[in-house]
Amino acid sequence: MTGSLAQLRTLVEKDLRIEARSRQTLGLIIVLGILIIVVLGLGLGAQNNIPGYYATAVLWVAYLFAGVLCFEKTMAVERVDGVLSALLMAPIDRGVIYLAKLLSNLALMLAVALVVTPAGMLFFGFDLSAAPGAFVTVIGLSLIGFAAVGTLFSALVSSSRLQGGLLAMMIFPITLPLVITSTQLLIGAFRDGTPIVSTGLGVLAAFDVIFLTTSWLVFEWVLEP
Amino acid sequence: MTIVLLLVGAIRAIYYTPVEQTMGPIQKIFYLHLPVAICTFFACLTSFIASVGYLSQKRRFFDDLAEASAKMAVILCTIVLATGMIWGKSAWGQWWTWSPRLTFSLVLWLLYVVYLMIRASIESGNRRGTVAAVYGIIAFLDVPLVFLSVRLMPDMHPNAITLEPSMKLTLAICAVPVVLAAAGLAHVCYTLNARRNGGESHGFEVIRRPSMLAGNGGQS
Repeated sequence: MTGSLAQLRTLVEKDLRIEARSRQTLGLIIVLGILIIVVLGLGLGAQNNIPGYYATAVLWVAYLFAGVLCFEKTMAVERVDGVLSALLMAPIDRGVIYLAKLLSNLALMLAVALVVTPAGMLFFGFDLSAAPGAFVTVIGLSLIGFAAVGTLFSALVSSSRLQGGLLAMMIFPITLPLVITSTQLLIGAFRDGTPIVSTGLGVLAAFDVIFLTTSWLVFEWVLEP
Repeated sequence: MTIVLLLVGAIRAIYYTPVEQTMGPIQKIFYLHLPVAICTFFACLTSFIASVGYLSQKRRFFDDLAEASAKMAVILCTIVLATGMIWGKSAWGQWWTWSPRLTFSLVLWLLYVVYLMIRASIESGNRRGTVAAVYGIIAFLDVPLVFLSVRLMPDMHPNAITLEPSMKLTLAICAVPVVLAAAGLAHVCYTLNARRNGGESHGFEVIRRPSMLAGNGGQS
């Protein structure tokens, strides 16, 4: 168990160190997220009369596109100089490889969310003061589920040397329940003032659990050098 | 025989079943709508089971079956959406509302259309099988979550309905040819897949293999 944890730490540190030194992914996806918010803000918000809770949907668009690019990039790192083949030969459980990749992706996505979310709120005049804790919980749970699915599919698509765009097509429909649930919850909380219901959070948590478990189970067959 | 039964069902629905009180004759589309919706679900279930089977046993049979049932799911779901929209237009006055059931069907349709697109864009047979199987499993596990998530939205679609006995009989008579047609089409799809892929693995792949190896070598 401690061995697995040490492996996990090594792998995550490797990913984050590569990212810290090259800084090729994070800057790209943050700027992409802000660009999406600006484009949608210009389209929707230039009239100055749209309600602030529109921001939840706009933020989701930014997360989705930034996320797909992030997953693609972090998996592409493994293909440089045959890292993946070496990794598969090393005596590491495939589940640990999956978890490590998931944690690196999650760290990057959190960094994106930390920049893009305030930007969205600023441009759309979204007032967070009604339920800040609920907002953080809902977005946090959603991002975990999103990263779980994204990590699995990025490994799947990257191994098969496919053309771009396929990853987005796989991830978007699968994450729709997350989008529906979290936007419904947040709109309910911020427009109608209804408290976040436990069934809604339950759906988010169930999504996370189901996809973490399934990804862990099928990851064995996904990776190919 | 299926066509005859379908005709019998249609005639029964049109001439011998009482007209519904508030909605009038348009309600008769229901006799197609519901059985097809149920068949959609079973097509998705078959696709899921076949995907699991393919991942664990790597047999071509499961791959072909998964593809055939996913195709059926898309066709049936298209019919559900189309009949539902026609019905919704006359009953609610709108082609489309973002009510839970409608959203659910639309997401289901998207999930399986994407499945077919994924298959279409991967060339290598084994790789395609694996990718599609993983996606098929995840997509099916997504279905109950979609169902739960859309329940948070405001609803106008009927959940429980009471039917006259003669309406029930018509529903049953219509359900039989729908199931037969769906199963028959699925079988045709499966046979086609099996023949095409069988041909591929005998002649086609052998020729392709050297070039694929070269491509791999360049990549990794």
